Amino acid sequence: MRNAALVLFVCFLGGCDARIERFQPNEVFSLSLAKARSTPTELAGKDASRVAQELYGTPDEPLWPESPAAESVLADKQNLFRSSGPVSSEKDGTHLGLFREHCVTCHALEGSGAGPASVFQNPYPRDFRHGVFKWKSTERGQKPTRKDIRELLGKGIPGTAMPSFALLTPEDLDALVDYVVFLSTRGEVERRMTAAAIDELDYGESSPGGELTLNSRNETEGGEVVQEVLDRVHSDWADAGKLEVKVPPFAELAGEDLAASVDRGKAFFHGQIANCSGCHGPAGDGSMPTLDYDDWTKEYTTRIGLTPGDREAMKPFRDAGALRPRTIAPRTLQDGVFHGGGDSASLYRRITQGIAGTPMPAVEVVSEPNGKGLTVDEIWDLVRYVKQLSTLQ
Amino acid sequence: MAANSTLVDEPCARHLLHRLCVLLVCLVWPLIWVGGLVTTYDAGMAVPDWPGTYGYNLFLYPYNTWLLGPFDLFIEHGHRLLGAVVGLVALSIVVSAFFRESRRWVFVLTIGLLVAVITQGLLGGMRVVLGDRTLAMVHGCFGPAFFALCAATTVVTSRRWQDYMSARGQASIGSFVVVLVAMLPALSYVQLILGAQLRHVQPNAEPAGFALIVAIHVIVAFVLWVLTILAWAKIRRCGDLTLSRLAGLLIGLAAVQIALGVGTWVVNYGWPSILAWVPGSAGFLVRAKGFFDSIIVTSHVATGSLILAVSTVLLVRSLRVRYCRSSLKEQSATEESKIENYTSNQSLLEPVTT
Repeated sequence: MRNAALVLFVCFLGGCDARIERFQPNEVFSLSLAKARSTPTELAGKDASRVAQELYGTPDEPLWPESPAAESVLADKQNLFRSSGPVSSEKDGTHLGLFREHCVTCHALEGSGAGPASVFQNPYPRDFRHGVFKWKSTERGQKPTRKDIRELLGKGIPGTAMPSFALLTPEDLDALVDYVVFLSTRGEVERRMTAAAIDELDYGESSPGGELTLNSRNETEGGEVVQEVLDRVHSDWADAGKLEVKVPPFAELAGEDLAASVDRGKAFFHGQIANCSGCHGPAGDGSMPTLDYDDWTKEYTTRIGLTPGDREAMKPFRDAGALRPRTIAPRTLQDGVFHGGGDSASLYRRITQGIAGTPMPAVEVVSEPNGKGLTVDEIWDLVRYVKQLSTLQ
Repeated sequence: MAANSTLVDEPCARHLLHRLCVLLVCLVWPLIWVGGLVTTYDAGMAVPDWPGTYGYNLFLYPYNTWLLGPFDLFIEHGHRLLGAVVGLVALSIVVSAFFRESRRWVFVLTIGLLVAVITQGLLGGMRVVLGDRTLAMVHGCFGPAFFALCAATTVVTSRRWQDYMSARGQASIGSFVVVLVAMLPALSYVQLILGAQLRHVQPNAEPAGFALIVAIHVIVAFVLWVLTILAWAKIRRCGDLTLSRLAGLLIGLAAVQIALGVGTWVVNYGWPSILAWVPGSAGFLVRAKGFFDSIIVTSHVATGSLILAVSTVLLVRSLRVRYCRSSLKEQSATEESKIENYTSNQSLLEPVTT
């Protein structure tokens, strides 16, 4: 009784919330790397996490590294302060702590996609730390533009737990975009630093020490490696806008022209080049059984030679925070619900680029029919067929 | 406090006290609604100081700034104002009980009400001053308990409370039924605590812990629903409509609450895979901070409190019926023994005839 009263008193004085002093290290990646490189990665992961904290701060006090490449990545550094920290609001209604208010329950503090409510969602919330995004206007291997993320936040993803934040103010949306970029950049830098520590700085069972230790100062070999990683990741984000996929004009057809185009599209859908039916099923209802996984899951399973169903093998990864491996299912194209947008331009990009991080492949765009790719007109035929499929239900 | 404080129930003029209690109940449920909205809109920190509002005395804050300002400020300051009114009503209940109530334990109960409302205000204030999410959860859990206490006080100050000793005292409530009925508020409160854990989840909480709480919350919801049906089945022929109707109401409330729970999940996280067969679920779009969505979430919170209060009333009334029943039995047994004694004494006094 006396202890309970004491606990209550302490709570009244200092609050009961668990302290959030740092971003958690990416232990799942460290474990995967250890398995892939057959070497201990604990020290490398620890040092990478430390340097990431020196560079990017904490969940309550974020920092943004000073470098020419980093300058153009964020719209406004102040947005990081609006989005981070606990939820509160100003007298004029401006909300602070936006990420914890809107995103953290699913995406987690680190943007790992393993938030408290993540296990109930299918697909799992995105892990930003890979720097891989599905729905974007840029080439498959590239970062999304700020506009892509902003549009995604505004529109949401129908059929998933990702909400539409259209009711938020434009300033709130901009702040969230910057914070998503921040988390993705921070997480990817940490991952790449861990890998570089193993591959370039001789980290292993012991720390290399001295010049080779990872650090945020650009004076030693360890510092130069960190700077290279920073420059690369920041440049990728800064250059994303230059790598947008140009979408050729789409002709709206009607009557016999449309029917003929849809027929041709159907042939491509079932044909050898696009072979959409191989996964989406002959009727486009996503009925073909698959045993494939997305790249986020493959990293700690099939890519390092582990069977996702092997509980014993998965246990260390699950203990480190990995979500239970779940196969990725091809979408039904019949219900008219396209997670990444169902407009013609989005479908064109999806066919020509595939979907980053998933088994959905890209179809090569060719200038003349050659049996290896599809021409622009043929891709539009395919788009018309897919759109026609989506009206079946 | 009125003289002759005694546990013996006696009809007396307690209308004002009872009416004040009814007023309190009528104020506290809206207070829970507004408090729920504050959490739903994450507006708990819209006013960073306490007990004042942006440096003003709570009651002197410019009403036009309050009414025409941001929605967060509107509901947070409104929550505080309503809370203050509830505190004043609780205070007047204590004063009224002091002058009008002859039962000492009822007076103590009203003091408990006042202490509870002050504690709740302090919890809310400390949540703001410390910006503490866990204290917000404690504040959110204490509110429904206070509401249930208000409802119980209203019952014991009612005229009906006396009636149980007479005609209504004939209803029959077994000990099993009392245990069954006692489980309803207990489980309702467990549900409230579990729900609060989900609603005020810490940003660094583990998915496994969250999933466990969700699973228990869902299972207990259906267990509670079954228990309300069982309780109603046992009570419906007890001969007292004030009990059987309440038990029937609880079945409906629990069903509504389960539907609202599903709705709350859907507007927060989309349709769960177990309900993927629902038409339109595949293309359902979650909308953050939508007004309709917020009302669903908040009504789930408010209905939970209502279930707790109604089940508490049912329990208090059941205990009262049982108490009256046993008192009447004792009374009649005493009277019978008196009559027997009297009869046997009379027979002893009768002259022996041959």
